[in-house]
Amino acid sequence: MTLLTVHDLNVHFPTGEGSVHASRDISFSMEPGEVLGLVGETGSGKSVIGQAIIRLLPTSAQITGEIRFDGQELTTLPDHTMHALRGRSISLVPQNPSGSLDPLIRNGMQIAEIFIERGATKNTAWDKARDLLVAVGLIPSDPIAKEYPHELSGGMRQRLTTSIAIAEHSRLIIADEPTKGLDYHARATTARVLSDIRTRENASLLLITHDLYLAEHLCDWIAVLYAGEIIEIGPAHHIFTQPRHPYTKALIGAMPKNGLVPLDGQSPSLMAIPEGCSFRERCTACSNRCGTEHPDLKQESLNGGVRCHHPFSS
Amino acid sequence: MSSPVLQLTGLSKSYGHGDIFSGISFEVGSGKTVGLFGQSGSGKSTLGRCIMRLEAPSSGHITMQGMDLARMGLRKLRELRPSFQMIFQHPEVSLNPRMILAESVAEPLMVHKGIGMDEALKEIAPLIRRVGLRDEHLARYPHQLSGGEVQRAVLSRIFSLKPKLVVADEPTSMLDVSVQAQVLRLMQDLQKETGVSYLFISHDPDVMSVMCDQVLWLDHGNGVMYDRAAFLDRVKTEYIPVAPT
Repeated sequence: MTLLTVHDLNVHFPTGEGSVHASRDISFSMEPGEVLGLVGETGSGKSVIGQAIIRLLPTSAQITGEIRFDGQELTTLPDHTMHALRGRSISLVPQNPSGSLDPLIRNGMQIAEIFIERGATKNTAWDKARDLLVAVGLIPSDPIAKEYPHELSGGMRQRLTTSIAIAEHSRLIIADEPTKGLDYHARATTARVLSDIRTRENASLLLITHDLYLAEHLCDWIAVLYAGEIIEIGPAHHIFTQPRHPYTKALIGAMPKNGLVPLDGQSPSLMAIPEGCSFRERCTACSNRCGTEHPDLKQESLNGGVRCHHPFSS
Repeated sequence: MSSPVLQLTGLSKSYGHGDIFSGISFEVGSGKTVGLFGQSGSGKSTLGRCIMRLEAPSSGHITMQGMDLARMGLRKLRELRPSFQMIFQHPEVSLNPRMILAESVAEPLMVHKGIGMDEALKEIAPLIRRVGLRDEHLARYPHQLSGGEVQRAVLSRIFSLKPKLVVADEPTSMLDVSVQAQVLRLMQDLQKETGVSYLFISHDPDVMSVMCDQVLWLDHGNGVMYDRAAFLDRVKTEYIPVAPT
């Protein structure tokens, strides 16, 4: 049974200078045990989707559309029911680890308090916490557990928040840039931890990242975001070997190992999204039609779709 | 072959609790790029900061233009400063938040040449266009710019002084992949045009292999120099793929 279905999700943030349309007509679904990567650059609206699912957006955000998790509609769920789901069924690896840890609590207790809250004794909770530290490569776990967050490097804090998110065996883990600022070794450790969760516990992972290397290695499916909308979605190996959208192709070509070909220009402001195709000003394949007619996300097969009037053939 | 722009001999740095690195020796040729590679905490940034004399090395020599930076007085160092410059990892803290971009980019010329702001801006104008910034950017504060725009502005500041060596400490690790490509290509182009040498610090082997002629691999305080092919060989043997596939 499908674990998560997002249908026509739109998120607006009203500001003094106008409304920011951060997510536009987002639709996708996830099966248990699957890894879906939301890939895009800064400001493409990928984090907003994760926060909309776990309902952590500010109250000023205007949200329309459906988010069904395990048969329940999340957007209309009462706060206390949603609160009970968070952590137990859906957990989040937040993007900003420094701001997500309590600076006055020892690292071990940041994890252990979850188990104590659920009725475990302090000793059992502490032991479990140490095991989780080992699992994410925070070794030696004993001294690290007794230290405070400020004594860890940014990368170590990142892994600590990952260990907190996986402590509860949630069915859906939303990982928002779990490898940001990590070096090669630490990135590999985090990737392995996330990959293990999926195989061991059949949890689904929504991976929000601009780390294309990580996405390529970890994801079953990838949705590429540009200016708040999904412009291409499909199996990860298709996206990386046979991209159909010009933006996807440019993104992959900009990776150092693929030639470091720069993509000129920048994405449009989410306050003034142009008519027609959002990418047309940077596109080499655009026509008159692209200036007037907004392309739909054409679902061509089970293998995904592309939002372009002139896609590359697969 | 001309004499190297930078030559390190037996450079060491230790804090109270032990050596960060010791006995580091290598040279950077004119117009060349040497990479500094290593894990977080391997001391690559500290080595870069020692070369810039933002930190004092514990022992060893840093030879630039026939002079030893490691033992140079601050006054003399200041005179030489335009010829070796640094670009930092975090764009959001690289520029003074209370200065508009015009003030920031004009500042190095005003300081080192003793000229006024109007004159400095006139002199740097072609360079501003060269790095891909427009006049409208000049009136903005750093928080109104993207990370890529800040790094472009930093490059224009640096290159206004016509440096011989630029220490680049992870200049693109906080940027998106398409912006990273823009900034790295710009750095390569500026190198071709000016003949500057780079000491390029990164923990990304892919970036290293694109940017560098040679790579110094820092590991437990020791450095080993590789050419590009040998570097990639070691990467292959030491790094397992990110996830089991």
